[in-house]
Amino acid sequence: MATAMFQQCRGTIQLNSCDDEWGSCKKFRNYSLRFISRGFAVDVRLPTKGSFISSRSKLHLVHALSSHSSLVDPVSSISDGANDHQKNISESALILIRHGESLWNEMNLFTGSVDVSLTKKGVEEAIEAGKRISNIPVDIIYTSSLIRAKMTAMLAMIQHRHKKVPIIRHTESDQAKEWTRVFSEETERQSIPVITAWQLNERMYGELQGLHKQETIDRYGKEKVHEWRRSYDIPPPKGESLEMCSQRAVSYFREQIEPQLQSGKHVMVAAHGNCLRSIIMYLDKLTSLEVTTLELSTGVPLLYMYKEGKFIRRGSMVGPTEAGVYAYTESLALYRQHLDEMFQ
Amino acid sequence: MANAMLHQSVGSLQLLGNSGIHGEVGNNSVRLFPKGFKVQIGFSKGGTYSSGERKCSIRASASQTSVVNPVLSPSNNDTHESRKKSNEAALILIRHGESLWNEKNLFTGCVDVPLTKKGVEEAIEAGKRISNIPVDMIYTSALIRAQMTAMLAMTQHRRKKVPIIMHNESEQAMAWSQIYSEDTLKQSIPVIAAWQLNERMYGELQGLNKQETADRFGKEKVHEWRRSYDIPPPNGESLEMCAQRAVAYFKENIEPQLLAGKNVMIAAHGNSLRSIIMYLDKLTSQEVISLELSTGIPMLYIFKEGKFIRRGSPVAPTEAGVYAYTRRLAQYRQKLDEMMSN
Repeated sequence: MATAMFQQCRGTIQLNSCDDEWGSCKKFRNYSLRFISRGFAVDVRLPTKGSFISSRSKLHLVHALSSHSSLVDPVSSISDGANDHQKNISESALILIRHGESLWNEMNLFTGSVDVSLTKKGVEEAIEAGKRISNIPVDIIYTSSLIRAKMTAMLAMIQHRHKKVPIIRHTESDQAKEWTRVFSEETERQSIPVITAWQLNERMYGELQGLHKQETIDRYGKEKVHEWRRSYDIPPPKGESLEMCSQRAVSYFREQIEPQLQSGKHVMVAAHGNCLRSIIMYLDKLTSLEVTTLELSTGVPLLYMYKEGKFIRRGSMVGPTEAGVYAYTESLALYRQHLDEMFQ
Repeated sequence: MANAMLHQSVGSLQLLGNSGIHGEVGNNSVRLFPKGFKVQIGFSKGGTYSSGERKCSIRASASQTSVVNPVLSPSNNDTHESRKKSNEAALILIRHGESLWNEKNLFTGCVDVPLTKKGVEEAIEAGKRISNIPVDMIYTSALIRAQMTAMLAMTQHRRKKVPIIMHNESEQAMAWSQIYSEDTLKQSIPVIAAWQLNERMYGELQGLNKQETADRFGKEKVHEWRRSYDIPPPNGESLEMCAQRAVAYFKENIEPQLLAGKNVMIAAHGNSLRSIIMYLDKLTSQEVISLELSTGIPMLYIFKEGKFIRRGSPVAPTEAGVYAYTRRLAQYRQKLDEMMSN
């Protein structure tokens, strides 16, 4: 079964072939198209019904319809948040950002869940990432409980054009909840809740945390270290395997984040290499072998569209100076248009 | 009783009158060229604060003080008991810069709002100013704008030690943030986040803009809450209440570190820092209300023999001015210079 997406304005047609049963989605072809008129909207539907049982791998052609899809009016859905009656047909954006260079990355030390902050370069990467997502709607932000992810999210959001204010939610005690209350409705509407969760922390590296790569090889031997770093289910001493990290990150995602997307909220997740891979494993239905070789660029945001219960990968967002996809979907294009109008 | 401090190298002579009010009585610039020149100033009277007289006098002696070898290398921490009393420790206070609600003119209080672009730049500037001052421990509030200010400032520090945020919210948090290398630990600066250093909690004013508040409560009432010492806004804290928890935290947790010779940096908020300064400088409640702390400009205190000596704001690297505030700090800077040129 293949999926093909027409993107509006200047766009690309991407034809994917998906192996069924948790297989990979491979890009078969990638065509560049230039659509000049902004108003042109194309909706693409899957040519066959959505069953994953078939073992055939087939490349299907694309149906192009010139009618408007049953997309929600994106501007109102974005400014209002959840519209219940639109649950089934709304589309929400999911942005994943892996934080940039940390002080221990720079020194070549295993970091894991030790709470180390960003370097100057990491700060710049976060700001760059922000520029790339400055036109994508964000209603709620999830980060890990580590400062490098939180800072990345906050620095990125400074670049956002909508000027809403991220506010970190505190639930560690009754006093914390009481003390961080906001008493103006209008202000709340202009706020983006930020939720910090240890379940999105980097994979805990146990007794390797703080060690230099050479130190570790000396202490444990080259092979063992390689095994811990690259295997799926072998944890370093007192640490987590990628599988264990996956287990807590993905269940958090499914329990807390997915429902937000289902209700039409646009979500940004700022986290770490391993927990984001784990989530991508779930979104893209990768195998454990594929996930161990998956590398996520630092500071380059990944966009997924959540629609009708499915996650559609839209790749890395281009920087504002790069020619490329202008908007990934009609709703995102309209959102950007709305921002442009706001700032005239 | 007067305090007079002669700063070494390029310095200024500052005479302070002391009877609860620290005003600059006279300020004369003095240029001292050789780095090694050191002057010891002692109190002209015994150290009591009860005297109502005001006297200014300076005694300059060329003898060495009993200051500890200031070049505290990371690998040999001072363990000698005899050093404790004559230890000198630096205390840096930084108020965070502009937050997103400052920019929108909304009452923020304890709502956890991050910095603006400007606030980020202020933090980096602040970092440049303290890049030569030793830091062994960092305390911040539980709010992101203070934590980010601390982390951004430290990216500018020349010593290149790594700030590491301590987590003790649960057993797991503690276990998960364990470091397993001694060397790495020695190159780390613990960062402790404490709600007691949070901004004053503004209760029902949090999130409101000035107009909304005036409409809802009346202009006079609002003025009273903002400017009084002990009248809290509805469901909020008065400055007095904020001072109570901030100073208690300082005395119980931070002062012992200074006593042990650790150099401390505190990144926090307008009201919590004023409260601490009220304690350090022994201000009255009247004085503290009118005390304004610049954002993003660090304040330096030297803690010595149980006393806090205010040293003002360290200058930016491009400004000519005081090179170092004490001999120990001058030597620390020298060491950094040597490290960087190797």
